[in-house]
Amino acid sequence: MLRFFRERGGDTPLATCRLFSGLSGRDVQVVQGFLHQRRYQAGEVIFDEGEEGQALYILLSGQVLICRQGETEAPIAQLEPGSFFGEMALLDDAPRAAQARALGPVEVAVLFRGDFLHLMDDHARIASRISLDLARQLGDRLRRMILAQGPR
Amino acid sequence: MNRPEYRYRSGPLVWAAVLGSTCLLLFLFQKMLWLVVPFLLALVIYYLLLPLRERLILAGLSRAGAANLVSLGAFAVLGGGLALAFPWLATQAVGWQESALRYLQGGLFFAAQALYQLEERFEVLADAHVSTEFVRQVAELIDTFAAKYLGSLAMGVAAWTPLLLLAPFIAYFMLRDGALFRHFLIRAVPNAFFERTLYLFDQVDRTARLYFQGLLALTVLDALCLAAGLWWLGVSAPLLLGGVTAVLAWIPYVGSVLGCLLVVLVAATDFPEAPQVAYGAIALFLVVRLLDDFLFMPMTIGRSLKLHPLLTVLMIFVGGAVAGVPGLMLVLPVLGVVMVLGETVGQVVTDPRLMARHLHARQLRRTAVGRDLY
Repeated sequence: MLRFFRERGGDTPLATCRLFSGLSGRDVQVVQGFLHQRRYQAGEVIFDEGEEGQALYILLSGQVLICRQGETEAPIAQLEPGSFFGEMALLDDAPRAAQARALGPVEVAVLFRGDFLHLMDDHARIASRISLDLARQLGDRLRRMILAQGPR
Repeated sequence: MNRPEYRYRSGPLVWAAVLGSTCLLLFLFQKMLWLVVPFLLALVIYYLLLPLRERLILAGLSRAGAANLVSLGAFAVLGGGLALAFPWLATQAVGWQESALRYLQGGLFFAAQALYQLEERFEVLADAHVSTEFVRQVAELIDTFAAKYLGSLAMGVAAWTPLLLLAPFIAYFMLRDGALFRHFLIRAVPNAFFERTLYLFDQVDRTARLYFQGLLALTVLDALCLAAGLWWLGVSAPLLLGGVTAVLAWIPYVGSVLGCLLVVLVAATDFPEAPQVAYGAIALFLVVRLLDDFLFMPMTIGRSLKLHPLLTVLMIFVGGAVAGVPGLMLVLPVLGVVMVLGETVGQVVTDPRLMARHLHARQLRRTAVGRDLY
C-alpha cells in the first residue's frame, strides 16, 4: 500500500521549471515531496480572480491562460510548460489578481503555502534558493511592466 | 467581472452540526476505544518526536531516514530503560503491595481523624456516627475489592497491553509516511475545492499539533510545580507523584480528584502525626489547579483551540455525559478538529462559485470522455 502511495507520486519534469533552476537533482527530489499533482480539463478554471490564494502552480504539461475574470479573449499571458503562476499566494494573503484557466488538458504541480513554510523551516537552503528565483522572476516582471509603460 | 467580496462566518447551522458531530464522534469513539486509545497515544508520541525528526531533516537527512533514526532512538531509550528497570521492578513488586496497603491505611486514618474532629465540633455528625460508618464501609470495600474487581482488572490489563504496544508502531508510520498519506487523501478532492481543502488539512494538522504539544507542555509545568511544592512539604517521591498527578490531570475533573487523593494518601501516610502536611498538600494541589486553569492552560492548550471558556466547560460536561471518562478526555481535541472541518466544509458548500466550478469541471470531464460516442 505504501508503495502505491509512492508510485502515484510519479516522476515529474520539475527540473525544467525556472523556479527550481538553482536546485540540484536531490534538492528537486526533496521539493517534490511537498508538491501535489493535479490534472485539469480544457476550459476548466484553475483559480478565480479575487479568490484567496493558498498555493503556487507549476505547469508541467499543457497551456494555461491568465486573464481578467472571464475575459478569455483578451488574455494577460499564455503560459507554457516549465512556467509557474499564482506565486503571490506564497508571499501574502492577498486575493488572486487574475483568473487562470486551462487551455487544453493540463497537468500542474502545486506548492501549498503551508508546505512552503515547512520547507523554509526544514530545508532553509532549498527554500532560500526558491525564494531567490521567485524574487528574480518578480523583478523581471516588474522591469518588463515598467518598460511596457514606456519612458515618462 | 469581479467576484463579490464576502467573509465567511460559521452560522448557527454549522455550529449545530459541529456540536452534533462532536457528540456523535465521542459516542462512536467510546464504542471502539481499543483503536482510539492506541491512536491517541500514538499521536502524543508522534508530536513528542516530531521536533526531533524536523531537526534531523534540517541536518540533511531524508524524511524516512530521520523518522527511522528518531524511532530507533526512542525505542532504544524505552527498551533500555525497561530492561534496566525490570530487575528492580521485580524485586520491588512484593513491596508495592505492602506500600499500597500502608498508604491506603494512612489515608483512611487521616480521613477518620478528620471526621472525628468534625464530629467533635458538629453534633449532627456525631449523632449520625459519620466516622464509624465511613470506616465500616471502606473496610468492607477493601475486604471485597480483590474478589469483586481484581479478576476483571487483571483481564483488562492483559487485554489492553498488546493494544497499547500498537501505539509506538502507529507513531513510527505517522512519522515516516504521514505526508504520503496526506497527499493520497488530498488526491481524492475535486479541483474546485482543492486549495480550500489543502488549507483545511493544514489547519487540522496545526490544531492537533498545537493541542498535543500544548498538553505535553502543560503536563511538564504541572508536574514541576507539584513536585517543587511536595518537596518543600517534605512528602516522599515528589517528582514521581508530581508526574503521575500531572498525567492523571489529562482526564478533566475526575483525573484531578484522583490525583489529589493520591497526593493526600502519601502525605497522610508520611506524616501520620501531622495532618497539617496533608492539608498543605491539598492546598498545594488547589493552587496548582488554579495556576493550571488560569495561567498554564490559556498559555498552552487554550491558545491552540481558540475556544470560548464557557463552551469549553459545557462541552467537557457534554463529553462526560455522552461517553463517560473517555468523553472527558477526548472532547476538546475532537471539538477542535471538528470545528476546523465544519468551518471549511461550510465555506465550500456555501460558496456558489466553487460549486459552479465543480459542476462545470464535471460537465467538461463528461463531455471529454464521451466525445467520440455521438
